[in-house]
Amino acid sequence: MPLSAIKTIVKSQNGVGAFILPCKSLSFHYCNWWGSSRGMNAFIKASLPTFARNNPQIEFSVSPRPRKHPVIIAEYINGTQRSICVKNLQNEGVREKAEFLRNHSGEKDRKIGNPVTSVNESVRGIWDPFHGAKVQL
Amino acid sequence: MKRIAVSRCASQLLANQLPRRPTCPYAAAKNTAQHVTPHSHRIRARWQSTAAAQEDDGLGIEIPTPASTPRSPPRAARKPPPTPLPLEKLPSPHPKAADSSTKLHALRSRLSLPPRFPLPALARTLVHPSADPDPHFNNASLSILGRHLLSYYTSEYLLCTYPRLPMQVVFAAVEAYIGPKALAIIAREWGIEAAEEPGGEVEPGLLQFKRIQSGGALPEAFRRQAPWAWNVTTTHKITRTDEFGSEHAPPSPHALQRTPVPNEEAAQSFVRALIGALHVHLGSPLVKRFFRDHFLSRHLDVDKLFDFRTPTRDLSKLCDREGFDSPIARIISETGRLSRHPVFVVGVYSGKDKLGEGAGSSLDEARTRAAAAALKAWYLYRPVDVTVPSSMEGELDTSKWRPNLIDCGEVIV
Repeated sequence: MPLSAIKTIVKSQNGVGAFILPCKSLSFHYCNWWGSSRGMNAFIKASLPTFARNNPQIEFSVSPRPRKHPVIIAEYINGTQRSICVKNLQNEGVREKAEFLRNHSGEKDRKIGNPVTSVNESVRGIWDPFHGAKVQL
Repeated sequence: MKRIAVSRCASQLLANQLPRRPTCPYAAAKNTAQHVTPHSHRIRARWQSTAAAQEDDGLGIEIPTPASTPRSPPRAARKPPPTPLPLEKLPSPHPKAADSSTKLHALRSRLSLPPRFPLPALARTLVHPSADPDPHFNNASLSILGRHLLSYYTSEYLLCTYPRLPMQVVFAAVEAYIGPKALAIIAREWGIEAAEEPGGEVEPGLLQFKRIQSGGALPEAFRRQAPWAWNVTTTHKITRTDEFGSEHAPPSPHALQRTPVPNEEAAQSFVRALIGALHVHLGSPLVKRFFRDHFLSRHLDVDKLFDFRTPTRDLSKLCDREGFDSPIARIISETGRLSRHPVFVVGVYSGKDKLGEGAGSSLDEARTRAAAAALKAWYLYRPVDVTVPSSMEGELDTSKWRPNLIDCGEVIV
């Protein structure tokens, strides 16, 4: 056999062809009794239907969590979970937190050194001392 | 490279079939199923489902609402209403539960599928035969259709884009795009979660399959390594085996009933069944777009797939075959020949043309690398203008068609 092949798997590039929103589900937990949930309850009554209609790719769930602070829990495609406690926030503040969780990628927060990453190799190649204007064959 | 009968899966499936001569099993099932008296309790209880064979109106192509809802009253009037079985007795979720499932709604939107794609069909693609042995309610038939479609679209893309690719590399590239591992990864990236245990009361948006017990051995169907034939040559792999040119036949979906299966098997059957269901319900143009967006958009370095044994010998054979001058390796430059880290840059020349160039820490290594580069430059030729055969399906205007290059093949040494 003069030639064999090496088995690999294609690398996903989310957003190159199709875009899958990393946020998979959002669950809103509220308490009817505690005052810290007042903004959350207002958000659920006033803004959540519109918010859910604008994001049909996310699974929404609302559940009571008595005698606890209100919390939004998001699950992501890569299996991670991220939750934000929204105690004492008003309607707008809760909406901002929900949008933050929706837009998040689900990756861990880490410092990005080089802002450009690419799977394609450089067109010019690695620098080589033997190639250039002065090299004569 | 599994062959597919194009006439079976092409767009003429979308037109209304003649009632006398159904050309595909789907249409046959559609026409006969009306007269079949269900003899099992479970089927009677779930008779108004949207198992794909049950739809009346064509193939559900331009129906805005799921096809199951408008037909239920007359059928219920004809037959006495059967006593419903408790949900826990069903092996997989009831198709009616699909319309109220938030997970399925979210999945359909996440994949940007149009709302006319019925949710019961999406729910059916998530039921592996290991969970529900009834072929009306599991995804075995759809996954067979989807598997053929996927291999057809992938292999035609690869063969038209890289017409000179050697067969082994084509097999590896197809496996990289739509192999079992790749499909399992794709299902995970689509946000598919698996149910712990399949059942009628389980949320229909979860992948339903029978898991292997922790610490349990792989079932017999996966361990059996039955070779295709006693002499599996490359030609045999092209014509007879599956699309990956694998050594052993994979287990058929219908053979996996009530067998515990690995997660990967269930996930790949879901992705294939989804392609099949999209083809049946929405038609091949949308499937082709879906395939381009979700599968071909992934990144694969085809030049990293090559593993040459004797590139210098292959190259001289290639030059001999194509009528070029026989290749000669010449040093272009070198440094530190007597040092600990010498570097030689060698080019392979055929007459005055440089075919390839490589650098290495010995003369032999550099020459081998240069020959491999020259061979890759030959094999990885891409025509500028490529039209794949499936792009002309159902087209009246064929002026855009460009005939594809067909190469005489790889070098046989």
